[in-house]
Amino acid sequence: MTREDLSRRRFLVAAMTATGLASAGIGGTMLATPFSWVRAAEGDAEQLARIARLLFPHDKLTDAVYVEVIDSVITSAAGDASLASMLDQATTALNSFVQGNWLDAGELRQIAAMQSIQDETFFAAILDNVRFRFYNHAKVWQHIGYPGSSVEFGGYIDRGFDDIDWLPEES
Amino acid sequence: MARRYALDDSSVIVVIGSGAGGGTLSNELAQKGIDVVCLEAGPRLQLSDLVNDPSAMHMKLSWLDKRLGAPTWLCKTVGGTTVRWSGMTPRFQAHEFKPRSTYGKLDDTTAIDWPITLEELAPYYDKAEYKMGVSGTHGMPPSAETNEYKVLKAAAKKVGYREYTSSRAAINSIARDGRPACRQIGFCWSGCAIGAKWSTLYTEIPKAESTDHFELRSECMALKVEHDRSGKVTGVVYVDKNGDMHEQKARAVCVAGNVIETTRLLHNSASNSFPDGLANSSGHLGRNYMRHATATTMAIMPGEVNFHRGPRQSGLIFDEQYHQPERDFAGGYLIESAASDPLTVALTVGGWGERTVDYLENYTRLAATWVTGEDPPQASNRITFHETERDQYGLPVPVLHYEFHANSNAMLEHAAMTSRKLLESVGGRNVYSQKGGGGGCHNMGVARMSADPEDGVTNRWGQAHDVSNLFVSDGSVFASSAAANPTLTIVALAIRQAGHIAERLGRKEL
Repeated sequence: MTREDLSRRRFLVAAMTATGLASAGIGGTMLATPFSWVRAAEGDAEQLARIARLLFPHDKLTDAVYVEVIDSVITSAAGDASLASMLDQATTALNSFVQGNWLDAGELRQIAAMQSIQDETFFAAILDNVRFRFYNHAKVWQHIGYPGSSVEFGGYIDRGFDDIDWLPEES
Repeated sequence: MARRYALDDSSVIVVIGSGAGGGTLSNELAQKGIDVVCLEAGPRLQLSDLVNDPSAMHMKLSWLDKRLGAPTWLCKTVGGTTVRWSGMTPRFQAHEFKPRSTYGKLDDTTAIDWPITLEELAPYYDKAEYKMGVSGTHGMPPSAETNEYKVLKAAAKKVGYREYTSSRAAINSIARDGRPACRQIGFCWSGCAIGAKWSTLYTEIPKAESTDHFELRSECMALKVEHDRSGKVTGVVYVDKNGDMHEQKARAVCVAGNVIETTRLLHNSASNSFPDGLANSSGHLGRNYMRHATATTMAIMPGEVNFHRGPRQSGLIFDEQYHQPERDFAGGYLIESAASDPLTVALTVGGWGERTVDYLENYTRLAATWVTGEDPPQASNRITFHETERDQYGLPVPVLHYEFHANSNAMLEHAAMTSRKLLESVGGRNVYSQKGGGGGCHNMGVARMSADPEDGVTNRWGQAHDVSNLFVSDGSVFASSAAANPTLTIVALAIRQAGHIAERLGRKEL
């Protein structure tokens, strides 16, 4: 964690509240994220949702899907101080790149800011978290034509598993 | 139904693991009237637990205990990785049992020839294919040609390949052996919800239970193999799901934990007599860890493919599997079709932004190949154990060291080129190859068979060179990776080993 991150008011608040708040996670070593962070992150939800859209920009999908995905990431971060810190680092770095509020920058400038941090560990963590939730989301599946579970419909044996029609004629 | 054996019953054979190796061996022994206790670390799922949800099933099936280094895709469940596998069952070629003689000395490899030949294994390949109901063999009809396979076939014809098939899958092409025919559900990796794909979970294990010579103990993690002063193994210490420790006495022990756990168990069983790990006087235990040279290549096709309609893999091309010295690498590779769910597509093409989204926006038009090629053994590719980190059993955390050999890198360059040519020949665009994609599915070596006890851990039967009643019964015994997906060979070797154990019992040698 850099000095700059530590200097941020809300993370100081988080760190103070975190004292003694260790809880066992999947790996047995995760730190619980304090409630104050969660409230702060909710303030960043708009920025995080915009990040999610630029990560996976499906033009015809409404913002609602990206907001849902980010809500889920923030919920996870509430139980995972490391992820919470990485979300903080990302929003800070983006604002720092545009020397102001990243959300107010134009799209090309926003993307340039994201490209400037894409090799950072915290960026990879956000990408992983967003990708996992986004491409498992029913509305995204519907949009791209992936129907999900098929066993309840008897699979595709009678529903087009071999209906391809554009291949070159057999010679 | 299933027998129950006393912990102090030293007449039983203890098999550790219930997957392709352990599940098959258990049933083969039980069918011969030999008493078996099978210890499986994972829980027992029912068919109704296998749902069409890759992420949820990943959490239910995967071995998620801490491991460091290169990731693998192994399972901790009754049936082992046969619950997740794709069902592809090509055989090894004759020369792949003789890589050292065929390829010569490759720099930085520890290659040896197997102590057995294809000719010796061929009858067991027959038995394995028959047992598993491999399509296109022994009277099983070919697998139906899916959209995904039709793309592969049309492309193969275009580029002039001659050997390709939709068959060679251990997925029922017709109802057989109490299991239905494939319904083209997709989701093979989530576990086959109707049991059309062969898995020991609903074939070998219940068949063994019906013999009255078999007991499965699920959620029982083997911790240590014990031995006596003469150096023979005497039992296995394990912990059950309540955390209680037990020792099951045994006449012989067969280890089939898939390479990582097989290495760890023998390593943990070190003693004054075996200071470097049980059966490790050669120093080869955990070394010569092989995967396959793998790559996924994906493209956007001119029309709809809908590759989610059907198996994860629905066909393969053999033309590149041969050793062709005129290429600048030794050995060869298979090209297999490879359907994926959206998350897997996003992970395969990687990255973010418009380039990545272009593939997902064209999800219904995607086609993909996956190559699996021979990967030479290297001393530096190995499994070691963390000095201080312990898992929930108190066991040292495994550390996996794995890098492609230069030969594998050269092979993968060739494979990326041929895969691109294939997909472009039928109009594919935005062709992208992910080197190493799907690596970690196939794990081999670490207790390899060798003619000379100094070269490996086990002999031609998978019996430890150092311990006459200890066997290794999984892909750990592979002396080379060959190009082929490993499961068929693991099953063939397990059937062969069961016959050998029965013979030795008959001669009162065990």
